[in-house]
Amino acid sequence: MSADRLVKKFGDLTAVDDVSFAIGPGETYGLLGPNGAGKTTIINMVAGLIPADSGSVDVAGIRMDPGSVAAKRNLGLVPQELAIYPDLTARENLNFFGRLQGLGRKELSSRVDTVLDLLGLTERAGEQTKKYSGGMKRRLNIGIGLLHRPGLLILDEPTVGVDPQSRNSILEAVGNLSTEGTAVLYTTHYMEEAERLCDRIAILDQGQVQAEGTRDELITLTGGVDRISLVGTGRTTAAAQALTSLDGVHRVTDSGGTELILTVTDGAALLAGIVTTAARSGMTLASVSVTRPDLESVFLHLTGKALRD
Amino acid sequence: MRALWTMVGNDLRQRLRDKSVLIFSLIVPLALMGVLSLAFGRLGTGSVDLQPATVIASVEDSGPLGAALLESLASVESMKVTVRQVSSEAVGPETRTTGAALGIVIPAGFSSALATGQPSALQLIEGSGSVLETSVLISIVTGIVDQFTAASVTEAAARLGGVPPDAAAGIGRIAVTGDPILHVTEGIAPAGQLSLRAGLVAGQTGLFLLFTVGFGVLGLLAEKEQGTLARIRSTAAPQWTVVAAKALVGFSLGVVASGVLLASGTLLFGVNFGSPAVLGLLVLGAAAAATSLTFVVAKMVRTAEQANVAQSIVAMVLGIAGGAFFPIQASGFMAVLMDLNPVGAFIRGLGISAGGGGVAEIAVPLVTMWGFAVICVMVSLFLPDRGAKA
Repeated sequence: MSADRLVKKFGDLTAVDDVSFAIGPGETYGLLGPNGAGKTTIINMVAGLIPADSGSVDVAGIRMDPGSVAAKRNLGLVPQELAIYPDLTARENLNFFGRLQGLGRKELSSRVDTVLDLLGLTERAGEQTKKYSGGMKRRLNIGIGLLHRPGLLILDEPTVGVDPQSRNSILEAVGNLSTEGTAVLYTTHYMEEAERLCDRIAILDQGQVQAEGTRDELITLTGGVDRISLVGTGRTTAAAQALTSLDGVHRVTDSGGTELILTVTDGAALLAGIVTTAARSGMTLASVSVTRPDLESVFLHLTGKALRD
Repeated sequence: MRALWTMVGNDLRQRLRDKSVLIFSLIVPLALMGVLSLAFGRLGTGSVDLQPATVIASVEDSGPLGAALLESLASVESMKVTVRQVSSEAVGPETRTTGAALGIVIPAGFSSALATGQPSALQLIEGSGSVLETSVLISIVTGIVDQFTAASVTEAAARLGGVPPDAAAGIGRIAVTGDPILHVTEGIAPAGQLSLRAGLVAGQTGLFLLFTVGFGVLGLLAEKEQGTLARIRSTAAPQWTVVAAKALVGFSLGVVASGVLLASGTLLFGVNFGSPAVLGLLVLGAAAAATSLTFVVAKMVRTAEQANVAQSIVAMVLGIAGGAFFPIQASGFMAVLMDLNPVGAFIRGLGISAGGGGVAEIAVPLVTMWGFAVICVMVSLFLPDRGAKA
C-alpha cells in the first residue's frame, strides 16, 4: 500500500499533515508516536473509514476511499478498541465478518476453523464472547482481521490493556505474518513493540512524520552515543575532571554530587577504563549503568519530549 | 445483497438473543393493555353488565300511576330491580344505610295531578351503592314520568279541542304506546371510533411500534460505541447496506411486533379489527412511518443513550397526541397537526377497519403514514450527522 501526502483537518486542528509512506508485501511498518500524534486518523484514512482532505491511499494498486469495495477486500482492520459482538459466539463473529469480506461458504468454514485454532479458541468457539477474558477477546479481535487473509493488515495499538502472556502471543502472531507475505501497518506508543516487530518505522508527532527508516537508521539521528551513569560518593568532582580527559568521552555532567552522567562513543568498550579512572580519583561507586540509544532517545532527540508524554 | 442479508440476519439473531425486543415490543405492551383494560374494563366492553339493584319506595298516591311506576321499575329487562315499599319517612334512611341504588317517594295526588296537568313533585334519593346502577334507574324513572306526562298533556289537549273524554284518553294512550315518528339506529361511526378496549389495543400497538423500530437504525449508535461499526465499514460490504440493513431490521421487527400485538389483542381482549388484509396495509404504513422517524433521531443524537431517551420522548409525545391512551380532541391548527400524527392515523385506520371499512376507506390514514415516512426520510437527508456515521 502507499499513502501519498495525506492531510486531514478537524476544524482548526490539522490532525494529519502531509504524511506519505509505503509498505511492501511481507513488510511490517510501524507508526510510532504519543497519544494524539495522528496515528488513528491515518489508519482511518488508510482503512477507508474517513476520506482524506487531500492526498491519496492505494491498497493493492486500487484507490482507497469510503466507498471502495474492491480496495477493502484486500484490507484487514484490527481497531484499537474491541470490535466484536458480545452476544455472539467467537465462531458467529468470525462467520459474520468473513461473509462481509466476501468469503464463500466452504472457504469461510475452513478459515474460521484455522483462525480459531491459531487463536487457541477452538474449545470455546461456541461460547458467547461476553464470557471471554480480556485476552481472549483481544485475540479474537485480531483473528477477525486475519480471517480473509488480507494483503494489508492494519493493527491499531492491539496490545493496549493486554496481559503480558496475551501480549507476547499477539506479537508472535504479528511477527509471523511477514513470512506469509502480509503487509502490516502497526501503530503503537510502545517503543519495545516497534523495535521488535517493525522493519521500518515512522516517528509521528503533531500529525507529521518527524523521521522514517529502520531502527538503526533512526538511531543514527541521535549521533549514536551511549549514556553511562556513575552513582557513588567521595570525590566526585575530581572524578568528573579526570573522566573528561579520557578519549571517547564527549561530556560529563555532575548531577547533584552523587551521580555523574557521561555521554560517550561505544560505552561498552570504554566502561572498564571509566570505572578505573573514577575509582582512582577517589569516587566510591555504588552503581554503574550503560544506556544504549533507542527509539525513545530518537523521539526525545527529535521532539524534545518523551514518547509517553 | 449478500452483505445486506448477512447484516440483517446478524442483527435479528442478536435482538432475539438479548430478549430486549421481546420485552419491550411484546411483553410490556401486552401487560399495559391488560392493566389498562382492567382499570377501564367495565366501560371497555361496549355492553355493560348492570348489577342487581334495590329501590326503596313509598307510595302515598292512591291513583294508578304511582303503582304503575313501581311495576315498570321492577320489570326492567336490562337489570334485576327489587322494589321494597316502606313509609315515606323511612325511605331516606333505608336508602342510605342498606346499599340500595335509589329511593323514591311518590306523593299523594301524583296520579290526579298528572291527569289534570297540575304540578307534582316526585322525590328521588340517590343510594350509596353503584353510581352506574343509580344513574340508570334515575334515567328509567325520568323516562316513565315523561311518558305519563306526554299522555296526560295529549289527553288534556284533546279535551280542550272538544274530543269526548273516552276518545281523548285513547289519544293519550297512543301518545305513549304508539310508534315513534323518529327512529334512532345504531351504526358504524364514520370517523372510525373504536370501543375503549379496542382503542387501548390499537393505541398501545401504535405506541410500542415506535419503540420497537428503534432497535433498527438507532442500533447504529450502539454499534459505533461497540466499535463494530468501524469494522463493518472497513469490510467489502457496500456503504449503503449498513444503514439499509438497520432500517430493514427495525421495519421487520415493527411489522412482526404490531401483528402479534393486534392478534393478541383480538384473542385476549375480544376485540375485532376487521379484514387482515386491511390490517396488514395499516401495519406496513405505520412501521414505515415509525422507521423513517428513527433516521431523523439517529441524525440528531451522538450516543446510544441519547438515542434511547430521544426516541422515548418522541414515542410518548406522538403516542399520547395520537390517542394511544385516551382519545384527544383539538381544533384549528392543532387538529391539523394531530391529523398528521402517524399514531393517530394508525388508530383511525384501525377504527375504520374495525367498522368494516376496506382499502378505499383507509386511504387517508395510509397516505398520512406514508407521507410522514417520506418527509422524515427527506428531512434526515438534509440534517447534519451528529452521531451514527461520524
